[in-house]
Amino acid sequence: MFRSLSLVVLIAAAASPHLRAQQTTLPHDRVRGAVRSVDTRTRTLEVITGVGYALRLVRLDVPADVPITAAGVATLTLGDLKPGDVVAVSFGSRTGKSLAYSIQRVGRMETGPR
Amino acid sequence: MTGPASVAALLMILGSLGACRRPPAPGEPLRGISPAERARFDSGRAVFAQVFTPETGLGPLFNANACAECHEDPVSGGTGDEVERHAAAFHPEATGRACDELPAFGGPVFQDSVTPLLRAALGIDREPVPPAATAVAARTTPDVLGFGLLDAVPDSAILALADPDDRDGDGISGRPNRFFDGRLGRLGRKALVPTLREFNDGAFQIEQGITSPSVPVEGTVAGRPLPAGTDPAADPELQAHALVVNDAFVRLLAPPASIKASREARRGRDVFTQTGCAACHVPALRTGDNPIAALKNKEVAAYTDLLLHDMGAELADICFGLATPSEFRTEPLMGLRLATQFLHDGRAKTPEQAIDLHGGEGTRSRDLFRALPAEDRAALVAFLRTL
Repeated sequence: MFRSLSLVVLIAAAASPHLRAQQTTLPHDRVRGAVRSVDTRTRTLEVITGVGYALRLVRLDVPADVPITAAGVATLTLGDLKPGDVVAVSFGSRTGKSLAYSIQRVGRMETGPR
Repeated sequence: MTGPASVAALLMILGSLGACRRPPAPGEPLRGISPAERARFDSGRAVFAQVFTPETGLGPLFNANACAECHEDPVSGGTGDEVERHAAAFHPEATGRACDELPAFGGPVFQDSVTPLLRAALGIDREPVPPAATAVAARTTPDVLGFGLLDAVPDSAILALADPDDRDGDGISGRPNRFFDGRLGRLGRKALVPTLREFNDGAFQIEQGITSPSVPVEGTVAGRPLPAGTDPAADPELQAHALVVNDAFVRLLAPPASIKASREARRGRDVFTQTGCAACHVPALRTGDNPIAALKNKEVAAYTDLLLHDMGAELADICFGLATPSEFRTEPLMGLRLATQFLHDGRAKTPEQAIDLHGGEGTRSRDLFRALPAEDRAALVAFLRTL
């Protein structure tokens, strides 16, 4: 029994770094652009950005515990974000899905960056 | 020393001091660049002229196989006769942003050519414009001569010319466009793009389908991923150094120098101001501090304020950024004499036709031009043809 338990402990010890690695190796990226759409039901956010005319749409899943902030306001809800808001988002990507880690509203397109 | 000999000696001295040097010809760099900058300029000219093939990364969607294929007349960096398609969806009734540049469908630039592999895979000859588009715009090839100087004008100088609420009551209400991160735009027919470097780097991807460290991802086909095997070249298809020297080439291209004005053209310069043209086509901007001495604190006779103006319903096409369909950035008139077609879509074949099509904020100046005696209209056009 002790041998079986030891084997289980050994296997768990060998596997846990791999499991921790799976949780923390999502590539980290940032985008700063304008909100194109917000869907509070599916908790998704689309941000438009680009280089020159090479525009890019970043679609993000926004978990409920993601901090959403703005200058002067401690926290916002996803629904507080509107199309045309300029946001800075840190996110990670994993095969076809982008997951937001934090969102900061930095201004509106019309008024320029703060 | 006798009189004629003194004059000859003086001329030799002045010549050696460069006081009589001719201005740069179209396609030449700005005066006063360093040897290292000249080397980057020359290297960049080669990148600008580089012809791409599918094997070296062209496409699979593209408008041209080289920058110089379009920007060729009269020299690399000049204009061209190619016209491309842009599309967007404008919904002024929408809450939030009224403009959708259609990035989800491959917009706003919809390429007119495909590689054989893509044609075989999808059976298309050009990128389809989605049904969501409310307008399709034709866009001619601008010359990029002098764009480095436009890029070097401080934001504050452009914003100082803005009067979005027409507080001075002159009927002109120029306003800035802004990129999606809020930065002031200045380049492109709707002044969306903030910097020349982004304008250049983005162009490789949208015009030639060339990926780079700046734009590492291929475009889609109307929003759908490229079919497997249709883009054989490994990404990035253009390396960072090529982007740097290409930018140096475009940045250091001198603007076409005005040619000597006849008496008629000098009269036309006065008419240009009297008819109010200079309210938007501001004769000169000043650059600010810049790491490149040739771009630093220079006056550039660009004849633009780099702001958006409502040009009326007849010229309206797509929205872009904050620009509504009828708003366009004031076209820089430097280099106008090299153009063979005028306005954003080339519908005007002479400067006179272009003036005649000015509407919206340009209506008053257009009407003043129309009411001029024939000799004053001719004088104005003669002036424009010196730029």
